[in-house]
Amino acid sequence: MAFTTIATPAAKPVANYKMGTRMAGGRLLYISGQVAWDGSGNVVGKGDVGAQATQTFQNLRGVLQAAGGDLRDLMKITTYITRIEDFPAVAKARSEVFQGELPASTLIVVKSLFHPDFLIEVEGVAAV
Amino acid sequence: MDRREILAERPVERGRGFMPGVSINPSRTLFTAGLTGRNPDGAVAAGGMAAQTRRTFERLQPILAKAGAGFDNVVKQLVYVTDLDAYNSVGRPERAKFFGATRAASTGLVVRRLADPALLIEVELVVDVPGSPQGKPLLEKYNIENHGGNFHQGVIVNGGRLVYLAGQVANNVDNSVAGAGDWRRQAEKVYDNIGHLLQAAGGTPGSVVKETTWVLSIDSWRAASVPVRSGFYDGDLPASTLVEIPGLARPEFLVEIEVIAAVA
Repeated sequence: MAFTTIATPAAKPVANYKMGTRMAGGRLLYISGQVAWDGSGNVVGKGDVGAQATQTFQNLRGVLQAAGGDLRDLMKITTYITRIEDFPAVAKARSEVFQGELPASTLIVVKSLFHPDFLIEVEGVAAV
Repeated sequence: MDRREILAERPVERGRGFMPGVSINPSRTLFTAGLTGRNPDGAVAAGGMAAQTRRTFERLQPILAKAGAGFDNVVKQLVYVTDLDAYNSVGRPERAKFFGATRAASTGLVVRRLADPALLIEVELVVDVPGSPQGKPLLEKYNIENHGGNFHQGVIVNGGRLVYLAGQVANNVDNSVAGAGDWRRQAEKVYDNIGHLLQAAGGTPGSVVKETTWVLSIDSWRAASVPVRSGFYDGDLPASTLVEIPGLARPEFLVEIEVIAAVA
């Protein structure tokens, strides 16, 4: 692992994620906000945030793998959703894709993403 | 340096203005504040999205140049807009004039409000700066303009190790919310959490390179947070972005702040 985990008893996470990570080596990889596209650019799971979340996290993994890494190399992810009521479905899909503890994480509800069909977008920073 | 553009080799990636991923071997990395389409006198540029987009990148250019970098060194961009249709029709072509063929990793978000209600776009960049970090201080924080705000327009990290914190909210260690409905208390708790985490990472408030503040109301945040934030940074300010959004992970949360820091 090219990073270490930052933790303190004085500040606890709201859910199953790391509170911080510190890079320890390797290359710094910035991953664009990923959405629920298939390889041809079709939206997967239009109107279905759970299906979109699964596809989005798989796409995130695809970029990591193309850089020679995988989900375990993520230092930080930011999840943007458009409706707070979608959060439970997103959290479920996320915990199915990520085995164990999540990277440092931020969740934000935005007004919309860059296409009205997209319900979730996830960007990441990794040390690979 | 040693930039690598990462493609997962899918048809969807072709012909777009950005890269799915960009990796670097970090040696000198510049983080800019979120820049907007303001004129030198501070007024928002007249002429709508096209004019604001042009001004935004015109203002970013000298921030990059001061570090010895240009738009072809950009690793990551984050574009916040309040009007997506306007950005797609007249903002994108203006942006393209600055970037040419360079493709950075990118995220685009439509938010509710930026620092001034008249602002339509805000852009922040991460840049892989040429040259060696040797002999330079760990952090170089600077301004190009006399903007009068409590932030730096650019912060260069020379060597060292980057620290990424999760977005911090006003949660107590027992998972209850500190200060439901109370902006001031939430500001105190969020900065308290950040302070503890920076300490655990071997840093201080001065180690913060970039701060992104997500709030449910910019007006309420400004009214309540200024003394808390000023006390926390004590003059040693990071590059920063302030954005108004409709929601956070729990309905009680009024603010979420994420910081990137660097330690030796």
